[in-house]
Amino acid sequence: MTDIPLLEVRNLIKHFPSSGGLVGSGRSPVRAVDGISFAVEEGKTHAIVGESGCGKSTTVNMILLLERPTAGQILFRGRDVSGFDGEGLRAFRRSVQAVFQDPYSSLSPRMRVRDIIGEPLQIHERLRGRALDRRVGELLAQVGLNEDKGQRYPHQFSGGQRQRIAIARALALKPQLIVLDEPVSALDVSIRAQVLNLLSDLQEELGLAYLLISHDLAIVEHMSHTVAVMYAGQIVETARQDLLFANPLHPYTRTLMAAVPNPDPDIPMGEVPGGEPASPASPPPGCRFHPRCKTAEPSSSQIEPHLVEAAPFHFVRYCSMRCTPVERMKVSATHPDGEIRRISS
Amino acid sequence: MPENVSRAIGSPPPQEQLLLDVRDLKTHIFLRSGVVKAVDGVSFTVGKGESVGLVGESGSGKTMTCLSVIRLMSVPTARIVGGETWFDGQNLMKKTAAEMREYRGRRIAMIMQDALASLNPTLTVGDQVGEPLRYHDRSMPKPSRIKRVLDVMRAVRIAKPDERLNEFPHQFSGGMRQRIVAAMGLSTQPGLIIADEPTTALDVTIQAQFLKLMRDLQRENGMAVLWVTHDLGIVAQICDRVNVMYAGRIVESGTVRRLFKQPLHPYTMGLMASVPVLGAKRKRLHQIKGHPPDLLKLPPGCAFYDRCPERMDVCRQSYPPQVSDGSGGHVNCWARTTPSAPALGQA
Repeated sequence: MTDIPLLEVRNLIKHFPSSGGLVGSGRSPVRAVDGISFAVEEGKTHAIVGESGCGKSTTVNMILLLERPTAGQILFRGRDVSGFDGEGLRAFRRSVQAVFQDPYSSLSPRMRVRDIIGEPLQIHERLRGRALDRRVGELLAQVGLNEDKGQRYPHQFSGGQRQRIAIARALALKPQLIVLDEPVSALDVSIRAQVLNLLSDLQEELGLAYLLISHDLAIVEHMSHTVAVMYAGQIVETARQDLLFANPLHPYTRTLMAAVPNPDPDIPMGEVPGGEPASPASPPPGCRFHPRCKTAEPSSSQIEPHLVEAAPFHFVRYCSMRCTPVERMKVSATHPDGEIRRISS
Repeated sequence: MPENVSRAIGSPPPQEQLLLDVRDLKTHIFLRSGVVKAVDGVSFTVGKGESVGLVGESGSGKTMTCLSVIRLMSVPTARIVGGETWFDGQNLMKKTAAEMREYRGRRIAMIMQDALASLNPTLTVGDQVGEPLRYHDRSMPKPSRIKRVLDVMRAVRIAKPDERLNEFPHQFSGGMRQRIVAAMGLSTQPGLIIADEPTTALDVTIQAQFLKLMRDLQRENGMAVLWVTHDLGIVAQICDRVNVMYAGRIVESGTVRRLFKQPLHPYTMGLMASVPVLGAKRKRLHQIKGHPPDLLKLPPGCAFYDRCPERMDVCRQSYPPQVSDGSGGHVNCWARTTPSAPALGQA
């Protein structure tokens, strides 16, 4: 494996102009994504976890080229995707696929399943007739669906089966990276494990890399190799999965963990601060989490903290010694945000 | 079902403490393609001040059960075809439509999943929180009504309620809207709140705040809450007792502690093993094979038969009997009727 990550995002920024109109003009922009950097390694899963408004969906849209970044770079195999056109762009779109949250709206109700899965093959590989049928059959089998189900329409399938169809469609062009945007949150509890296991198996078999977007820390812990926690457009902590869950450093990460209702009556929920997630339209000055942080100090609202390497493969955006005590860190060296060393070993 | 059987179900609240007693409730939906037995013989109780969970996946009948309790069907072809629901010693099934209106909103309030859809965008929040009071207590003078509205808004932790009273729902965040919906339910000080997936649309930290708020309010007001959810974590954290629904029936019930420490039904056991748990370093998730059954084609026996790792021939032929868990709960499973059945009676 080369040293270049499959996908690398450097200092990515997306600011939306605040809604227009006479009253709206002149207001500061919505800073949906405000300078984030991360890498997805070949065959590995990088997870982005955060609450609504943290910028995780905007990040996905930029990576899928559905939204143009305000600034920053998205590198695929070391090449800036903004420079792609023609053949390069086609190759990128083949290599990067997506599975979305809601399989009820991501599959066209008017198309037969075999056409849904076959469409990318028709467009990119010009497959027709029997060759196409054979390939679609293989894909259906790969996601655990009966090959003869291809004649049916999406409404004839349950939610879990529909998500399998969406996965088959994503696999059709043999991509290297699949963006999984909340892939199981619309599914029933008893079905989630099936889909998560399927995704793990496919990763192992095909060497796929995943960019997993989720609000569910337990799923993130289960599925990922590296994790970034986002809050109000920024990454507040990023680390190798085992390090982050064993030793969460940022107060927001600890809050997220405390807020998860554990399915064990003997493990009570932790204390969760009041207030709402910060609005990216008017993020608080200084540390964006400080209005909700019980370890905030007067300086927290003045100095904008940077990501600091607290331990090998573990970065945190901390603003005071109270919020992230030094003794919890192994080493301390400041890096500019754009140059986070890669966090997977 | 004979009455003494349903009486024994999850009996921790003694008779005088009983608030809601649902007995052998059956609600069916009549379609051209057949009859969907959405609720098919459901019995459970809620004691005064108690927190009881109704867990199940989509289509298991949990919402239909709640709507049947307040006799408010969302589907016109759905009909309650059997059973009784007793609330505070009164049989709600025998009430006239007008009498039922006195229960809904006043003595039994319902909090729905989608706060935005539960609120009217063209009315101020104060008007909406006060509406149940205006409806149920016409004699209440306006100043005391406004005072009560301010009290409940304060109770659900809305800052500066006197200023925010005249604002519209869109001026509030998602978490605050859900708290306002809770305030609407609380304004008449009902004995029972039915909370149908009230936190599904909320972020995790906001969900945690809401759960804590409901727990505090329960302590302050002594109201009972029936929590309808698919989230086992919420049940473990907030309920005293829990009922697990599958395909229109309650397949297991018990105290939260017993159910989470020693689940008895293969479905409950499978569910618990399939959920990723923070800090549990599982290599691979257990998966329940197959998918929930088609309610139009339910087998005569156990509806979980096709997916069950412990199935036997008898399970396909007849519905399993109710087996006591030894601590007031029960499980409906043939595999637990034999003397060698695991864990029975030890709970």
